[in-house]
Amino acid sequence: MIFKIEDVTVYFPYDNIYPEQYEYMVELKRALDAKGHCLLEMPTGTGKTIALLSLITSYRLSRPDSPIKLVYCTRTVHEMEKTLGELKLLHDYQVRHLGTQAKILAIGLSSRKNLCVNTKVLAAENRDSVDAACRKRTASWVRALSTENPNVELCDYFENYEKAADNALLPPGVYTLEDLRAFGKNRGWCPYFLARHMVQFANVIVYSYQYLLDPKVAGIISKELQKESVVVFDEAHNIDNVCIEALSVSVRRVTLEGANRNLNKIRQEIDRFKATDAGRLRAEYNRLVEGLALRGDLSGSDQWLANPALPHDILKEAVPGNIRRAEHFVHVLRRLLQYLGVRLDTENVEKESPVSFVSSLNSQAGIEQKTLKFCYDRLQSLMLTLEITDTDEFLPIQTVCDFATLVGTYARGFSIIIEPYDERMPHIPDPILQLSCHDASLAIKPVFDRFQSVVITSGTLSPIDLYPRLLSFTPVVSRSFKMSMTRDCICPMVLTRGSDQLPVSTKFDMRSDPGVVRNYGKLLVEMVSIVPDGVVCFFVSYSYMDGIIATWNETGILKEIMQQKLVFIETQDVVETTLALDNYRRACDCGRGAVFFSVARGKVAEGIDFDRHYGRLVVMYGVPFQYTLSKILRARLEYLHDTFQIKEGDFLTFDALRQAAQCVGRVIRSKADYGMMIFADKRYSRHDKRSKLPGWILSHLRDAHLNLSTDMAIHIAREFLRKMAQPYDKAGTMGRKTLLTQEDLEKMAETGVQDMAY
Amino acid sequence: MEKRVKYKSSVKDPGTFGSLELSEVMLLFVPNDPKSDLKLKVQTHNIKSQKYTKQGSNKPPWLNLTNKQGRSHIFEFENYPDMHACRDSITKALAKCDEESNKSVVSTPAEKLSMAEFELRFKLLRENSELQKLHKQFVESKVLTEDEFWSTRKKLLGKDSIRKSKQQMGLKSMMVSGIKPSSDGRTNRVTFNLTSEIIFQIFAEKPAVRQAFIDYVPKKMTEKDFWTKYFRAEYLYSTKNTAVAAAEAAEDEELAVFLKPDEILAREARQKMRRVDPTLDMDADQGDDYTHLMDHGIQRDGTNDVVEPQNDQHRRSLLQDLNRHAAVVLEGRCIDVESEDTRIVAEALTRAKQVSKADDEITKDANQERLERMSRAAEMEDLQAPQNFPLAPLSIKDPRDYFESQQGNVLSEPRGARASKRNVYEAYGLLKESILEIRMTGLSDPLIKPEVSFEVFSSLTRTISTAKNIIGKNPRESFLDRLPKSTKDEVIHHWTSIQELLRHFWSSYPITTTYLNTKVGKLKDAMSNTYSLLDAMKQSVQSDLRHQVSLLVRPMQQVSFLPTQQEFYYIMSRLSLIFSTCIVSIQFNQPNQTLRSNPVNELKSE
Repeated sequence: MIFKIEDVTVYFPYDNIYPEQYEYMVELKRALDAKGHCLLEMPTGTGKTIALLSLITSYRLSRPDSPIKLVYCTRTVHEMEKTLGELKLLHDYQVRHLGTQAKILAIGLSSRKNLCVNTKVLAAENRDSVDAACRKRTASWVRALSTENPNVELCDYFENYEKAADNALLPPGVYTLEDLRAFGKNRGWCPYFLARHMVQFANVIVYSYQYLLDPKVAGIISKELQKESVVVFDEAHNIDNVCIEALSVSVRRVTLEGANRNLNKIRQEIDRFKATDAGRLRAEYNRLVEGLALRGDLSGSDQWLANPALPHDILKEAVPGNIRRAEHFVHVLRRLLQYLGVRLDTENVEKESPVSFVSSLNSQAGIEQKTLKFCYDRLQSLMLTLEITDTDEFLPIQTVCDFATLVGTYARGFSIIIEPYDERMPHIPDPILQLSCHDASLAIKPVFDRFQSVVITSGTLSPIDLYPRLLSFTPVVSRSFKMSMTRDCICPMVLTRGSDQLPVSTKFDMRSDPGVVRNYGKLLVEMVSIVPDGVVCFFVSYSYMDGIIATWNETGILKEIMQQKLVFIETQDVVETTLALDNYRRACDCGRGAVFFSVARGKVAEGIDFDRHYGRLVVMYGVPFQYTLSKILRARLEYLHDTFQIKEGDFLTFDALRQAAQCVGRVIRSKADYGMMIFADKRYSRHDKRSKLPGWILSHLRDAHLNLSTDMAIHIAREFLRKMAQPYDKAGTMGRKTLLTQEDLEKMAETGVQDMAY
Repeated sequence: MEKRVKYKSSVKDPGTFGSLELSEVMLLFVPNDPKSDLKLKVQTHNIKSQKYTKQGSNKPPWLNLTNKQGRSHIFEFENYPDMHACRDSITKALAKCDEESNKSVVSTPAEKLSMAEFELRFKLLRENSELQKLHKQFVESKVLTEDEFWSTRKKLLGKDSIRKSKQQMGLKSMMVSGIKPSSDGRTNRVTFNLTSEIIFQIFAEKPAVRQAFIDYVPKKMTEKDFWTKYFRAEYLYSTKNTAVAAAEAAEDEELAVFLKPDEILAREARQKMRRVDPTLDMDADQGDDYTHLMDHGIQRDGTNDVVEPQNDQHRRSLLQDLNRHAAVVLEGRCIDVESEDTRIVAEALTRAKQVSKADDEITKDANQERLERMSRAAEMEDLQAPQNFPLAPLSIKDPRDYFESQQGNVLSEPRGARASKRNVYEAYGLLKESILEIRMTGLSDPLIKPEVSFEVFSSLTRTISTAKNIIGKNPRESFLDRLPKSTKDEVIHHWTSIQELLRHFWSSYPITTTYLNTKVGKLKDAMSNTYSLLDAMKQSVQSDLRHQVSLLVRPMQQVSFLPTQQEFYYIMSRLSLIFSTCIVSIQFNQPNQTLRSNPVNELKSE
């Protein structure tokens, strides 16, 4: 359908539209007009992504003189693929109605591992070794060497891409990673470098948060994006965590050992160069004296991770004199490693601010703060000079230099915590020195400053006023949308007791109680026998899930479950989990039905949808609190309390409930879909916990469903499923329109009634 | 046959004397006077009708034959017996002609039957023993011809059934690790009972064990030793004592094979990852997320879970086993080997895996299908016009099961109790009334009032379940189950054959050709035959069951007589629908006997 929002003609690829999608677009357009940031919460299952994409692309079409660029950030690669899939649909529609002028170039961006088509490189196991294998074939000095020595192996795809030079361009269209690979293979061009090259020409770029938030990556990829870009963070309820992770780094024993080995290797290389090619080291020295930390014109294949500190914090000065010479720098690093080693040898937990850490480092190892700050740049320059290609081998020293640079740059918002062992496993010594960032606003600040509009959106942003504080920005639009329901297609329940009336909970003192474990099991046994197709269960942690499944296996509960449905489980092995998920979907598709056991805060909970028949019921076993005794968490809570006056308990509950809401919220995809949600813990019945759930769940949580036992829940589930099986009027009943057609929208535009649906 | 007759071209014609020669194909008149050119030849199949003068009237015995062109030939016989003899032979010749012409019509498609269709028929007969029995009874005893038999089963012969392959049997959901050993209670000895089903599952879930079996048995050890070792390893694994397991594995290299992580599995997993749905591919994230650089990001803030580091060599968790098991069950039985020989099974499985691996690399179809599924998943279903995807055909082995399960539903309905009082006779009554009404007032539209037909059908549906309960003491046990098996089979067989006969019987109306006439005659004979068989069966059952059996048999016997009743004939010729209702009702009246096929639909189509 095609309709107008104020002066923008919106091309929307469906015949109908939900009223909340329309509202969402209106608000989004206001934010774009005002060239400001916005915060929008809209329940899952209301087509957020497509509404957002169609408004922004239509906005671009309506302003041909100042084309805006869309930078769409997702948390995971598979969400990226999903977004590109929707964009493809939209693009086809727009081209059909507008012809070639609607054509855009949209690309997904990922690492070498996901884009490489060279089978020899792909044979490497993980990302780092793929990176290294690629670099071994594409680095400028390797290619230079190959002109003399024909035995040096190069990558044909990269060579072809280089040969095509500026002619290597992607024709307009929407490219998923798979499409990029197919295109690259077809033309013989390296898709990875091609995609990176196309970033500056693309109208829509879809990539993961880190490409914008992590300075190490953003410094290379996102530095050329123009200010007129609209940045979207989708599923952004965890954005604060991503921000603090981007600036955190830790050092372990193995890191130090590896770093020492790296230094030995570097030392050898330096000696070798001294003997054969002393001029090169001298040239580097001269360059550093002149203040050029890096050679300005690095060819694409030589680039690596950028500085871990944020761009405006990096000093544009010459490298300090004491580390200009390669040998001196190696000495400094040796002293640093030694000092860190001593600090790791502690018996007690130590907590320190960066300032005091730096001063004690200065007094004991004689390394100044400014020297620390330049560690990273100096190392990178040295590695380029020494022509080191197997970068994956040199990760430990890299990590130590990251740490040094960060600790030298930031005095506030960080703390250093040294733990001799993990609190939860005190019998295993595993000392760790962590530099952890507490201030989420640090990493995202450059993004807010650089781009004219930043959109933060998710299904769960409650309480919506908390996010601007955590990220310290002022949105021009901040709104939470309700969901207009055609029928009560979600059915949340709080289960507090088993059939034997004993309370159930995952509270620490209760979780291993055999009665609780049995009642949890019985609940599932009963549910799988009445719920069709897919059932998903979330547990509070891997270890808890492991334990409870083992017990169910011994007591025969698992066997009873298996009589009804196949069982698939998320494990910590990603490959296995992916295959399990794939099989789970197959089992739901073919009608056999299946149960999926997963973990809140796990990889699956983060971004896999269990919509339609893939999830008719979600059971959330327990409240997914963080491990509150963690030192880092405590430090972060303190910081939040001091800076934002956010109470500890409030933050913990907020965090746990957003995770729970995230888990259960993935059952609904559209209003034609339906699903049940069971919160199986007595603590959910308390008002202070429950009220933190997003409004669209709360509005369906009836008082009668707040304190259920297993048999009551079964009864309600039966009734609900029976009700959902009935045919209904999709357009909505009783004067409330839940599905708008083109005419409805035109009428609305005439009468000026905006809130028809509410 | 030769008769002396006088031929007249018209009534007024004085006539020509001559002789009439009759054969099956033609009749020939030769005048006595050889000079006359009134020689006449009439092909039998050209004769349209014959008229003759009645004996006792004072007219001479004339026979008037009209041919299809409308010309009539009149023959004056010398006496009546001559004429009658002649008439009879012409009638016979005509009947034969009719039959032949009919035959030629029917047999043309039969000749065209391809080998494929014959094979299909054979296959159907082979697979369905009931059908085979019927075929034997009616076709071989010439009650029905081959084509008549199959013409009511066009659906079975339809294109779908050709394409539909044999349905695959699923696997049980139970885990193999769930098999508990039986012990004799006195010694520490335990015994495992291995069935071929279990062995198949072990091989399918653990390719390493399968490979080991192919490698070791029988070269290195016997099959028994192999399984003993396997269960020893399983036992070690179940004790969770990795140290002991490691120690034993170090000593015994064959045992170690079972305890090692499965490399073939890992290879297969990598293979499968390539065709996984990209919107699920979490492995891709690992390759993308830069915070997952070693030691970057937050390690110990309580969000990340900690798991005890395990001995790498022997890590194999319950969770992995569960996932693997479910995957195998989902895949189903991928080989078609029904063999007791373990080695054959193992080899067949290995081959099947290799084939599927090879397929992956060749076919682009799978990829295409995956992309389509993805784009479908990207759409929002209720914002656009509904799309109809083809449904998979439902294959129900035995529809009787459906009715068994329906009984429970009917019983649980509170209405059931009251409704069950209304018996099948009431339904008959209603039907009869409406038939009478039609006879009085003629046909109207609709033929039967919808309410009436609804009432009839619903009351009959309820009767199926109630009849069972009234007759059997135990509601779960049907009366039929209490009969000796041979009798039960016999009852059911008679039932299906009556059904078959009736179906053909009613479909022959209205009788327009002699062919149909003879067919009905044959059917009638067969029906009365069945009647006597039923009678005999009734006599043979034990006395305590005899009453029930006669209750059962009565409707069948009634049916056997139905065709003799004139009024049913009359209406039947028009109202096949009503009668099919009757058939349904009779079917329902017999407990535990369900609709094998819906005669209503079939009759309509005919």
